[in-house]
Amino acid sequence: MGLFFSSIFSRFIHKKEMRLLMVGLDAAGKTTVLYKLKLGEVVTTIPTIGFNVETVEYKNISFTVWDVGGQNVIRPLWRHYYQNTMGLIFVVDSSDRERIQEAALELQMMLEDDGLRDAVVLVLANKQDLPTAMPVHEMTEKLRMHAMKGRDWYIQSTCATNGTGLYEGLDWLSNQLSKR
Amino acid sequence: MKSPSYTSSMDSMRKDSFLWGKAPSAFSQTEKKPVETITMQKNNILDDIQKLRLEIENVMSEIHTMESNEENKNIIMSRMFLCGKKKFNMDPMKGIQYLLDNDLLDETPEAVAEFLYKEDGLNKTAIGIFLGEREEFYLQILKAFVDLHEFSDLNLVQALRQFLWSFRLPGEAQKIDRMMEAFAQRYCICNTGVFQSTDSCYILSFAIIMLNTSLHNPNVKEKTTLERFISMNRGINHGGDLPSDLLTKLYESIRSEPFKIPEDDGNDLTHTFFNPDREGWLLKEGGRVKTWKRRWFILTDSCLYYFQYTTDKEPKGIIPLENLSIRDVDDPHKQFCFELFLPHSNGQKIKACKTDPDGKVVVGKHNEYKIKASSAEERDDWVQAIRSCITKDPFYDLVSARKKKIINNNNKKNNSECSK
Repeated sequence: MGLFFSSIFSRFIHKKEMRLLMVGLDAAGKTTVLYKLKLGEVVTTIPTIGFNVETVEYKNISFTVWDVGGQNVIRPLWRHYYQNTMGLIFVVDSSDRERIQEAALELQMMLEDDGLRDAVVLVLANKQDLPTAMPVHEMTEKLRMHAMKGRDWYIQSTCATNGTGLYEGLDWLSNQLSKR
Repeated sequence: MKSPSYTSSMDSMRKDSFLWGKAPSAFSQTEKKPVETITMQKNNILDDIQKLRLEIENVMSEIHTMESNEENKNIIMSRMFLCGKKKFNMDPMKGIQYLLDNDLLDETPEAVAEFLYKEDGLNKTAIGIFLGEREEFYLQILKAFVDLHEFSDLNLVQALRQFLWSFRLPGEAQKIDRMMEAFAQRYCICNTGVFQSTDSCYILSFAIIMLNTSLHNPNVKEKTTLERFISMNRGINHGGDLPSDLLTKLYESIRSEPFKIPEDDGNDLTHTFFNPDREGWLLKEGGRVKTWKRRWFILTDSCLYYFQYTTDKEPKGIIPLENLSIRDVDDPHKQFCFELFLPHSNGQKIKACKTDPDGKVVVGKHNEYKIKASSAEERDDWVQAIRSCITKDPFYDLVSARKKKIINNNNKKNNSECSK
């Protein structure tokens, strides 16, 4: 009985944690996404030289998001951080038709990595406020999302500058986490 | 140097000799002639001297105006340069563009890099933003910037510490990637033989930034251990491993001392208030509570700032002068006053801000700012200085005219709807 209560108790006390990586081409809007999510929270942490890493508390889950990326030669380094990573947030500039193929390739390459075999994928089709933005169904097709077999994925249209769609994305991630 | 004035002086000479002819003369007839010639020559010379003197005066005044023009030009140039630096700290791309457009900076990667590396008072975060851009011109500047560093005989972490002190490293992975690649190339030129290739150096530099993030960013829960750091870097030296004592040394160095955040001297507001258009003590009337308080005023960049003390780092209030008007006001009780007001305001408050006693920055509550000087002369000087700083945004008039029109139309519509 005591054990039962303590396990119930710990479920309330302990926040669940979810480690996420954030990837995307240059200027897709990753930093804006990261800091828009942080907005409204009191930032007391001492700034550190290095990569953008933020923790976002949402629905009793603590999301830790790393800004990840770089050229192919340094990819093996990240592999050490992929372990225990539950999800990947892939940010794409929906208005950048020129580089959408490059983005699709980047996503594909990330997902081929063994360390991310079980990771769920949230695609943020960003910059939807721009008049030239491709709609979500077109983005799904261009990023060849349907070709991903046996993976949980979701695509969310966002406008990171005003925050539209970001919490919907987190909602999907937290649902995925509770399924496990 | 013959001129018309020469002949006229000859005429006067003849008149004189005519007069001399009548007067009894001390000279004999034979003596007169040479004396006349000498007098004539003397007058000619005096004439020439006069002309030369005039010419010298002209040249001197010309030189003088040229000098003061040159001086003025220098003053204007140094002001514009300062303005460019301020712009840079607010928006680095715009700031550099401004400096290039006004020929205050050569449009070569080397010149821009040197400006970023050596110029005082630049915000290091702004430098980092600028160097992080991915277009070709920026990449060349990044390379030239790294080349200004000397890394000889430093180990990799020591060199990184020095490099990361010259700007604030941005947090985006792709930017860090480009910066570490440029850094590694320079490091390997300064230290040949340490790494098999620049790629090994670049990967290790990147891994060190990851390590610093992992060990010192409080958001990262799982801290990288030495074993993990060594295993991460397995095989990066052209397929081979780097000596583990080197990796251990670098790991320990980062663990015991994180990379320092470069001091942002450009962030310091004193730079904003350096070399102002005018500064001094004045009395200012409160917005809601009409009491008079003594404030230190600084006029710069089309803004009027006021401080409680001259030594304060941050102003108590900021009044942007855009679209404001200024006029003298003479109160029988308060002499030497002027006020800043919004023409055709209709009760609108002036756009301004102030810091309230709790330290919160709040919107200003003034319909007009009434300010008092200590003498008529001081008031005139302030009014003149402020007037020359007030910028007029033509767009503002356009927008307010539009606004008025829309409000009027709406009123009319409402009225007509009411009457229906």
